[in-house]
Amino acid sequence: MVKVAIYPPNSLVLADLIERKGHTPLALQKQIRQKIKDPEIDSPPMNITEEDPINGLKYAAIEVPSGVRGRMSIIGPLIDVAEAAIIVDGAPFGFGCVGCARTNELSIFCLRKKDIPVLEVVYPDDEDGTRLMVNQIMEFLDSLPGGGGDLEGDSDVLGEPIANKGGK
Amino acid sequence: MPANLCITPDLGKEDMDPEVSTRMIILSSKANVSESEVVNFLHMLNLPITIKWTCYGAMISGKDEYVREAIRELRKLDHYGIFTKERGFAPGDPRRCRGHRYGPREGFHQMEKEFRILDYVGEALKNPREVEIEKKEPVSVDYFKEILEEENKKEDDK
Repeated sequence: MVKVAIYPPNSLVLADLIERKGHTPLALQKQIRQKIKDPEIDSPPMNITEEDPINGLKYAAIEVPSGVRGRMSIIGPLIDVAEAAIIVDGAPFGFGCVGCARTNELSIFCLRKKDIPVLEVVYPDDEDGTRLMVNQIMEFLDSLPGGGGDLEGDSDVLGEPIANKGGK
Repeated sequence: MPANLCITPDLGKEDMDPEVSTRMIILSSKANVSESEVVNFLHMLNLPITIKWTCYGAMISGKDEYVREAIRELRKLDHYGIFTKERGFAPGDPRRCRGHRYGPREGFHQMEKEFRILDYVGEALKNPREVEIEKKEPVSVDYFKEILEEENKKEDDK
């Protein structure tokens, strides 16, 4: 079983396909949930704490806007633990939850730079395109160690919670 | 709009439990089951989980092991029409629930986009086959020149 980073980090299709093959998707929601459960934050995750941009310094320089560093403090730990990655290219405007083009670029750059198997697929807009994307993803997931699980989700569906390395 | 941004929710005990997870169950439009069937099925499982009926399917929240079991059982209804993903916020959380906000919740727009291809994804999983897509290439410069010259000639002849 491999921890697979996905981009956009909240993608339903990517996360579902990865779980069907018995791997663990590194979805952003798990990170967000850790923030939500923090009783010290009044309105999470719209508020970032002063520590978040500091944690983000691990991924981006001090000159980089604090918004990017704050976002990277949440996405960065996912990239750190990733053992493989699937990135969707050419997605329409509004696809993805990050809401910041520079963070998107930096995250994808970090994933590409990391020495892990990376699959880049094109966002489909028709049936054949979707088939191609699904075939590519399934083939990629089968090639990963521990892959080839069945579609019934008998293997670990939800995976282990990720340690919030960059968090508080 | 400040009400949107400054809600301080009164979180319950379950919301603060690190073992509790929330999953969204999204049905593709070609799914063999309806939202009500999904919700009824989940209730009949008799697991200690919170079940919420939504427009896209359902949302379940509870201890990880029960949520996992519910998803495993639910998938048996329709392997290729039921999709699930993790959700950060608990069901009905005022910071995300549309009932307490002035507009669609964050994440709705992406789900709307992904919902459009869910049928195709289910179909591709059910009947996998190889496909080849021809990439449309731009017109070559030579061909473009040729057409321009032809058109110019026609103009001159007139």
